[in-house]
Amino acid sequence: MCFGRRNSNIKAALSLLSPADLLSQTDKLFLKHLTSSSMHHYLVVLLVLSLSSCQASGPPVAPQQVGLEADQDAQCLSITWGGPNAPHYDILIWRSEFMVTVFNETVEAKPDADGRFRWNWTSEEPLECTSLSVTVRARSADEISDWSRPEILAGMDVPSKAHAQMYPSSRVVKVGSNTTFCCIIAEGDSFGMISYHARDMDFTRLSRRSYATTRTNQGPSATSGTNVVCSNSKTIVTGAVMFVGYPPQPSDLLCETHDLRTAECQWSAGPDTHLTGIKRRTYYALNGRNCSLAGGMLCGLEEWEGSWTLEAWNQLGRARLTDSAEMSHRVRPLSALSLVATVIHPWNATLQWAWPNQTYASLSLICQVQLISHWHPSTQTFTGAGLDRAVLSGLQPDEEYRCRIRCGSQRNFWKWSGWSPYLTFTTSMDRPDAPDVWVWMDSNSTGRIIWKPLTKRESHGQLSSYEVTLWSSEENRQRSHVLPQRTHSQAFSLGSPAAGVRVTITATNAAGVSPPATLGIPDYLGDVEVSVSRAEASQAGFPLSWTPPDNTSCDYLLEWHNTSCSQPCALDWTRLPAGATNTTILSDTDWFQPGVRYTFSLYSCPSQHPTLHQRWEAYMQEQAPSRPSPHVSSNQQGSGVLLTWEEVLLEHQRGFLLGYRVYLANASRLSLIANITDPSQRNYTVTKLPVGSYKFTVKSYNSAGEDGGSPAFISLDPYTDWLILEILVALGTMACFLAVVTTLCYRKRKWVKTAFYPDIPEPSLPGDWSMPQGTLDLKPSPHSMVHILENPEWDSKEALVTVPEEEEEEGSAPADTDEPSALRYYNQVVDQGMPRQRPAHLPDSSASSGSSVDSARTDVTYTGIQASAPAPQPQPPTGGYRPQMHPASPPASPPASVEQEQVGAEGPFGGYKPQCSWKMESPEEGLAPSLGSPTSVTSVTSSQFLLPDPDHQVKGQTSWFHSLLSGKP
Amino acid sequence: MAGMRTRSGRTFSGPSRTTLARVDAIALELHHECTLLLGLYRTKESFSPELTVGNGRPMLSMPPPSSQLSTRDKLWRLYSALLQCRGLLVRAVTQEEEEFGGGEGGEYESQRKTVRDRLGHLLDSMRRLLEEVEGAPAITANTESIEQIDGPTSGGAFELKLWIYRIFSEVEHWSRMTTATLRSIPLVMSTAGGRRAGKRMRRGKPK
Repeated sequence: MCFGRRNSNIKAALSLLSPADLLSQTDKLFLKHLTSSSMHHYLVVLLVLSLSSCQASGPPVAPQQVGLEADQDAQCLSITWGGPNAPHYDILIWRSEFMVTVFNETVEAKPDADGRFRWNWTSEEPLECTSLSVTVRARSADEISDWSRPEILAGMDVPSKAHAQMYPSSRVVKVGSNTTFCCIIAEGDSFGMISYHARDMDFTRLSRRSYATTRTNQGPSATSGTNVVCSNSKTIVTGAVMFVGYPPQPSDLLCETHDLRTAECQWSAGPDTHLTGIKRRTYYALNGRNCSLAGGMLCGLEEWEGSWTLEAWNQLGRARLTDSAEMSHRVRPLSALSLVATVIHPWNATLQWAWPNQTYASLSLICQVQLISHWHPSTQTFTGAGLDRAVLSGLQPDEEYRCRIRCGSQRNFWKWSGWSPYLTFTTSMDRPDAPDVWVWMDSNSTGRIIWKPLTKRESHGQLSSYEVTLWSSEENRQRSHVLPQRTHSQAFSLGSPAAGVRVTITATNAAGVSPPATLGIPDYLGDVEVSVSRAEASQAGFPLSWTPPDNTSCDYLLEWHNTSCSQPCALDWTRLPAGATNTTILSDTDWFQPGVRYTFSLYSCPSQHPTLHQRWEAYMQEQAPSRPSPHVSSNQQGSGVLLTWEEVLLEHQRGFLLGYRVYLANASRLSLIANITDPSQRNYTVTKLPVGSYKFTVKSYNSAGEDGGSPAFISLDPYTDWLILEILVALGTMACFLAVVTTLCYRKRKWVKTAFYPDIPEPSLPGDWSMPQGTLDLKPSPHSMVHILENPEWDSKEALVTVPEEEEEEGSAPADTDEPSALRYYNQVVDQGMPRQRPAHLPDSSASSGSSVDSARTDVTYTGIQASAPAPQPQPPTGGYRPQMHPASPPASPPASVEQEQVGAEGPFGGYKPQCSWKMESPEEGLAPSLGSPTSVTSVTSSQFLLPDPDHQVKGQTSWFHSLLSGKP
Repeated sequence: MAGMRTRSGRTFSGPSRTTLARVDAIALELHHECTLLLGLYRTKESFSPELTVGNGRPMLSMPPPSSQLSTRDKLWRLYSALLQCRGLLVRAVTQEEEEFGGGEGGEYESQRKTVRDRLGHLLDSMRRLLEEVEGAPAITANTESIEQIDGPTSGGAFELKLWIYRIFSEVEHWSRMTTATLRSIPLVMSTAGGRRAGKRMRRGKPK
């Protein structure tokens, strides 16, 4: 087999050569860029080819005359071959340039009439992207033929096609489909990127110049398609446009006739196909005849065929719709022409129109006339065969109307015709309606007649004037006034009682005078207490109900106005029929405002003699008071504060007041201290307040809330009664305390005495001290005597001179001096009589005595006692004791001078006087200085020892304190 | 209009200051409108403004601008280029609507119509200007050269879009060139500008 051998030789050579040897010199440059995957595929192909060549030594015979037919748009490659029949064939397809396998499968193929086999393969990439090589071999149960000679389908990237291209260049696909694009750059150019709708895509290199990318699930494109752009770094190299859309989906095919002869069919185009332009738009055909679509989805036929088929198609698909109907069921008249108003009256008008088709003359028609007056449309319907005129009723005088007409088939009604053009006409004038009039009394004899302006619907034409007439039945005379049409009130005064006066008013326009409106004059109720009820407003307005007056069949007039209005008061009213017991005044007008109190007055028999039947007050919506209570004042009343304020003005109440709240302001918050639920109470007393500054706030409140509050400041002064009470309490407390202390001291006097005035232990003296009265035979102790006698220089008398208590009292030394009186006394004597320095020859006992005097008065006292007790007798100059010469006579001069005089007059030893003269002393004078002083006590005690008082007078006079301290009675 | 002598020795009447200013204003407006149109087209077609089309080569083959040219020749060159631009623009609009449909009256289509109308207005003004310069009767447009300009190379939709894009760019280029050329006529413009400025200053001076 030449082919096989030759083929075998080629493959053997291929197997010996490296892949680079098989490529052209130019391709060698690109081989460097081959991926390992590409190399792998290449080696697999070579291996397969080598193996097949090795087995080609025997049958079966390889397929021959392999042919390739490419359908570029479908990306389909049809492979044909000849040769012996085999149950299976292996087909191998690879990209010629890079030798990358793209298909390698075993397929079944049967011969056609010419004995050739055919198998179709659809490529993922457009077939133009790069060259493809195809080879086929036969496969039986256990044998495989040689591969056929490879056939190459040349791509558009061959060197002869040097310019840049992109495939597919322009394609129409359905939404959601996937498309692979390849960009073939120009020879010598560089590749940059591929973008789909400005979005950069991943790409694959197919050949030296070809790059591919795949876009999946494509969305619908715009009218001019979706651009796929291949570019290098600076320039748009090439590109393609994808048109992604839907096949046509028309619906609602309906055919009808306008002239009872031809047919006109309409349909809906359905969803947007997103495909436009001559090449891609949807085309339609009705019963096989193309539709121009100049007027939209509309197609006409010259004859009524009874059934219709609509076909719609574009590049993505085709759709079909059908419809069928009898003509009588699909009649839709054409629009009426030449609409005119032939006759016009104040309350009606006649319209006439024409039909464009004479066939309507026998057609039973139903027509609608639409009337528009003041932007308010209304419709009137008319029927009749060949209807071409209609009388419009219910019109208003002197009113402009716009009208138009449309008609349909009365039998088997199908659709209305189109509206005719508008016709505008104005009705004639008529005399006005009677004005609605009411009277507002300012006093018993004056008032105003008020009437509502006549609306356009009531005036029936331009008004020229009003005429107001007052007729008094008692005076039997009338007064008339003609007023211009802009006037809507007239003041009047009465010379007679109001009950006999009637008011009549008429309006005049070009068409005539209105019927008269007559009214009686109500009584003035300004000074009369009238019971007023409160009415609750509802969502809709003010529902009012009343009990009808007995024996009356009159109608009513309900009047309302702002309760706090100033004269002249704006009024409104409404008339109610006789027998009415309730009504609701709607609040959805500008008349009523929230937070405003309105007074509603129901009058009966307004035409004869209006009588007030009932009165209400109401708010449309209550709001919190707008202003606080004025003039809040505060006055101190004892320990409390009286707060007073004035009533909130009515226009500021904005609701029915429910009371007041009194707050005490503490720093940044208010504390409620009183809630006054009686709105008429306008004072409050805050009691039991401590002295200080206070800020009170008074707020009025209603059901909607409370006002901002009025502050009142007060600073409470101290309360005089409290001051006195405090003083008394303090004094009482002190007195109680002293009493308790005194009682305690009395009861615990022993303890007090022990604690503060302990008993001085009595000296234990040898012998019996209880000798009889008289001259005591006092013998000094031997030691004392010795001391005294052995110290002639030292004047002991001077040391022991007793200073009269009077003198001591009058001494300049303070009583509370730290220096004890005995010590002072001693020092005095020493200072006067002897130098301070102690004689060196003094014996130890004397020295000890002297030191005792220096150191402690007790010792001095004991020394004195010890020295004097044994020797109470006056002693010759050798004695140291100095008696008191004049104890009873108070000193007339300071003690010091007295002492000096006594000393000078009587000598150092003269003047001794028995101590019996003590009874002359005043106990106070004698004891007072020594009270509480140990020295004095001791002195007294020693004096008693020395000069016991036979009468115990002194003891009796001075012992009360001792008794107190000792607890004895 | 005072007569002017060019370097070539020819004498022609100069354009009036008013006409020149009007043409300049229209050309400036056209340039602005073209810039807007190009922006809208780029947005519509998702073309990156950084990428050029057709290697930046002009579509029209016109003699290069030269200072040697007289004012009349300069104006003639501009007029000829703008005339070809209008022809191209009309072809572009027709082919675009035929290929891609349209007629919805979006912003792009409105701007495209504006440019076409403005270009026609500029051509009319240019023609009057040339008549003033030449003192000659109305000029007839030479449409032969327009038809000789190639359309899209391959007839594909993408090539048509690039071709339209290049035409818009061409109109923008020549409107810019018109403004620049009109302002490069020193004698007329400076005098006109100086007079205008002086007038404005006098008017604006407070009493």
